[in-house]
Amino acid sequence: MKKGIIIPVAVVLLILLAYATTNAYRVPTLQMQFVEERPATVEMIEYEVAGLTCRGKSMGFARMIGSTPGVISLTTYVRTTTAIVEYDPELITPDEIVRLFETPFVHEGEEYQLFEELGRR
Amino acid sequence: MRALRRLVQFIFLAGTVALLVRGMNGATPNTCETYCPFAGLVALYPLLRYQTYTCAMNEFHVALFVSLVGLTVLSKKSFCSWICPLGAVQEWFWRLSRKLFGRTITLPRPLDRPLIALRYLVLVAVLGMTWTVWQGDLGFRAYDPFYIIFTGFQGHELLGFSLFIGIGVLIVALLVPMFWCRYLCPLGAAIDPLSRLGFLRLRRVLSACTDCGKCDEACPERIPVSQLDDVTARDCTNCFECTGACPEPGALELTLLGK
Repeated sequence: MKKGIIIPVAVVLLILLAYATTNAYRVPTLQMQFVEERPATVEMIEYEVAGLTCRGKSMGFARMIGSTPGVISLTTYVRTTTAIVEYDPELITPDEIVRLFETPFVHEGEEYQLFEELGRR
Repeated sequence: MRALRRLVQFIFLAGTVALLVRGMNGATPNTCETYCPFAGLVALYPLLRYQTYTCAMNEFHVALFVSLVGLTVLSKKSFCSWICPLGAVQEWFWRLSRKLFGRTITLPRPLDRPLIALRYLVLVAVLGMTWTVWQGDLGFRAYDPFYIIFTGFQGHELLGFSLFIGIGVLIVALLVPMFWCRYLCPLGAAIDPLSRLGFLRLRRVLSACTDCGKCDEACPERIPVSQLDDVTARDCTNCFECTGACPEPGALELTLLGK
């Protein structure tokens, strides 16, 4: 029965392996470009966003920022609740982008804030 | 080994309950779904076809599913009796039921065999619906007793009847051993073919066995251990309940690749 110890050891190792391989690559949940022609100057910023937990929320996030001049593209990763935004710095700033997605929406007289910036880099 | 297995099972169940409590307090956005390997299987089609994830699925789910495949090839459906919180609850309800009522309902073989096939239909239906009608959304949540119970009946996208499914599975688990696992679990159906491989498997040592049948009574999966030389049955989860009940030292031994 000593061989039975292989099972819990394998469980721990396989879970650790899952964690390790997860960080080795990432696939976006959503990738959208909002303009047909990219401007001459493009900068990129990565936000950590509370509430960005699924593809549906990513689509909502895209709707909140995508129609604003200066926002070029969006890529989201729900596992890390991260949104990478490409923008034209001559038209919009990172703080203005945050104001766009942190704006609450009103439903039946109640305000709901879907997203909140937790950090950026 | 039985005691170690029950300890590991308890740790995973306690962790899942802790996650439930933290989620209900708003301390974490994660739920039991964050750690569910079945989501990894569901994620494979959109990942391979469209190079993206749908709904709340991500790389970790896929990695967990791959790890589950590895564990199943190594040790049969050990996930079910060592890790799965729903499997733990059902097993504990079965033991409670035996203590309270002395016996449980065993479905007769002409009913048992076709019902076992039902879990494959559930698997096909869930994957098919997810990838087509639900357009990648985890619509199965409303029907999944694991999600229903371990989100405290308050999970995302639950419907009115979800409450009845969650409670119903728990009640039936008191009456029919491992009902969900045996007849309806799509994850169990998905790893069934690999479970036959299981490099770690139990062997009955004929010279030591007295054919007392205690192993058969102890098995939650109703495997007739006393009639087998090697336990290759798909539903064996290496739970070691049979070895724990066996009164003859060395009559049941665990082998690795036949040795």
